[in-house]
Amino acid sequence: MYAVRAGGLTKRFATTTAVDGVDLAVAPGEVRGLLGPNGAGKTTLLRMLFGLVAPDAGSVELLGRPAADPGGEALRDVGGFVEEPAFYPYLSGAANLSLLARLDGGPSAAAVTEALTRVGLDGRGGDRVAGYSTGMKQRLGLAAALLRSPRLLLLDEPTSGLDPGGTQAVTALVRELAADGVAILLSSHQIGELERVCDTYTVMRRGRVVWDGSATELICAAPASAYALATSDDEAALRIAAEHPGVRAGRARRGGLALALEADRLDGFVLALGDARVAVRRLDLLASPLETMFFALTADDAAVDRLEPEELAETVLAAS
Amino acid sequence: MSSAAPSIPAAATRPIGGEDPIWNAFRAELQKLGAQLTIRLLALACVACPFAFAAVLKVQSGTPNDALFGVYAHSSGYALSLVLLTFAGNWGLPVIAGLIGGDLFAAEDRHGTWKTILTRSCTRIDVFVAKLLAAAALAVGLTLLLALASLLAGVLLIGANSMVDLSGVTTSSGQMLLLTVLSWLLCLLPTLAYTSIAILFSIASRNGIVGVLGPLFVALVTQLLFLIGNGVIVHLLLPGSAYLGWHGLFTAHRFLGPLVISSLVSVAWIVGCVWASLAILRRRDFLASAERRGPGWRTPVKAVAATAALVAALALLSDVGPSAVTEHRLSAAIGEEFNRLTLRQQELIGRQVPAGAKLDVLPTCNRRAAKAEGPGDWTCSLNVYLPQAHAVPFSATSVEYDVSVDAGGCFKASSPPSFIGGPTMVDAAGETVTNPLYVVYGCFNTL
Ligand SMILES: Nc1ncnc2c1ncn2[C@@H]1O[C@H](COP(=O)(O)OP(=O)(O)O)[C@@H](O)[C@H]1O
Ligand SMILES: [Mg+2]
Repeated sequence: MYAVRAGGLTKRFATTTAVDGVDLAVAPGEVRGLLGPNGAGKTTLLRMLFGLVAPDAGSVELLGRPAADPGGEALRDVGGFVEEPAFYPYLSGAANLSLLARLDGGPSAAAVTEALTRVGLDGRGGDRVAGYSTGMKQRLGLAAALLRSPRLLLLDEPTSGLDPGGTQAVTALVRELAADGVAILLSSHQIGELERVCDTYTVMRRGRVVWDGSATELICAAPASAYALATSDDEAALRIAAEHPGVRAGRARRGGLALALEADRLDGFVLALGDARVAVRRLDLLASPLETMFFALTADDAAVDRLEPEELAETVLAAS
Repeated sequence: MSSAAPSIPAAATRPIGGEDPIWNAFRAELQKLGAQLTIRLLALACVACPFAFAAVLKVQSGTPNDALFGVYAHSSGYALSLVLLTFAGNWGLPVIAGLIGGDLFAAEDRHGTWKTILTRSCTRIDVFVAKLLAAAALAVGLTLLLALASLLAGVLLIGANSMVDLSGVTTSSGQMLLLTVLSWLLCLLPTLAYTSIAILFSIASRNGIVGVLGPLFVALVTQLLFLIGNGVIVHLLLPGSAYLGWHGLFTAHRFLGPLVISSLVSVAWIVGCVWASLAILRRRDFLASAERRGPGWRTPVKAVAATAALVAALALLSDVGPSAVTEHRLSAAIGEEFNRLTLRQQELIGRQVPAGAKLDVLPTCNRRAAKAEGPGDWTCSLNVYLPQAHAVPFSATSVEYDVSVDAGGCFKASSPPSFIGGPTMVDAAGETVTNPLYVVYGCFNTL
């Protein structure tokens, strides 16, 4: 049984098709990253899974139950949020949680305290949500989802607005829950945040799924990593790059060189520079293989091979 | 995904959605309402306003003569409560209904919390029904609070005194209490109708301000139509018409027709608005917050145009149907009442009035407008002929009354002091009392 199974999900708006025939499956214990740039349709897809939006076509099954009448029974054991979690600003964080627990039929002060502690909001639960920062609301949203002891978590950009510590906590929490067999689908527009969290990825672009597979497959399929390079002799470095297969280089607009390196080409290239007495002054990883894959998949003209290294580097710089 | 993935964990030990989801959602609504200042202020106002009104009446001599029973507001607590009831029916209760129903749904839009509550164990219909119940409970609760406060203010600050009803019959304190309580209870239905209108406005517009002002606008249109139309049909179909149903209880020949019809009309409004609201909510997509929906000026403009057209159509239709206010009905009502009140005045100044005594009064009423029928200003002359032998001593005379009649068949008649004396008089015991002939209130059946 799959925790999420969606087939041919489609949602059209007046001018755009936000989600276009998306198939999706998440198994228990699986952490699936839903990736895509802004406007790719991630949130709309999650809204359809939650039954907040009626699909124009397609079917949704959560934990083996078809979502005939959205909400209620169809969402039993399902937790999560879409976009920035929203709460009643005039109630405290704890009161918001106990209200939501009440909607679930069982308010328990201990469960509320535990959920608040788990997301690092202990001590602030008594404050009114009106005074919460974006990150705190994000944490409260996570607490609200955990309160349901979910077997399926649907999280829309759970790390946006969080400080690094918060991001790390969320990452750890997600892994912990997945180890307990909870299925987790989390969306992000930045693959970097999810690199160490997800087992599998669904990459979306303009409402369509452009890639679907495991993290290892994604790395293998990744064409290149992007680096920024500064040397004592850029001319010589360009020449050496041209002689090396799997290495492409160009002048970056901001000075220095931009490199696109296929997997395992870095060592050989750097050694060759040394042999030619070209000193490496700076070498920065601009985009990991996953990131370049992500940019490649979601860039407007799809194939990364056709992107000049400089363009690739610029795209990465612009996006980060 | 490896095949060694752990299986889905057993369902949580804590029961989720174990109880009735509507009941759960209802209690969540109450928790939210309990935390909001508006509702508490509203409850406070419902208690404070009647007492403030009574206190003001205590310290000054003016009376709200234009409202039914207004002239008796100094002499009987029930009159005070009924004056407040008239005001509440015109404005107060629609405002309360708007504040309750208007914000209940739109608040979720304002806070963006639809997605939060609809991703728990309740369906949209559960949440809708729970909100409906919460709104109804609040509307009923606040109306009853206002009723209780107005009765207490009247009885404690003015007194539980007997008074004349809308046919000039002196009614005992107990009877008045019963009828006043019943009148307030009859206002629950139109208040619920206004609440469901507020809910519909709020769900359709997703805007709390529209939800709150919507019922107020309907009340305003009701008042306007009440002033202009001659016909009886449109008036009976308005949601607020049931606020006037109690008038028939205070007459010698009780009439319940308008009360029954307007109460059924209220029920129809409730059913219609609730059905439409549910239909809108069920089909709604809960998307990003409203500000992302672009500069929607077309919809408001269309809505305003449609509303204007509807009001114009109602104004035109308000003449359709038989006129409620005819010369025959008015003169019959005012003649009978004048008869009783004259005897009452004689009693007050200490003259013996044999039971069943009757004056020989011939009323003639004329409308002061081109059309002979309809609400507005009338003049009635009451010619009192010499009584039979051994009857009440009273000299032959003619009394002129200026009568303003409303479309619901209620009138206020007043006459210059030269005919019937001043607003107050001194009774046989030397007390200053309200002159029963100074301002005469009455109602007749419009059906
Ligand atoms: N309420 C709406 N009305 C019209 N278009 C919308 C609405 N919500 C989202 N869209 C469009 O749907 C597309 C997908 O949006 P969204 O699902 O929010 O993307 P993401 O979450 O991946 O950033 C975008 O092109 C967006 O403009
Ligand atoms: Mg989004």
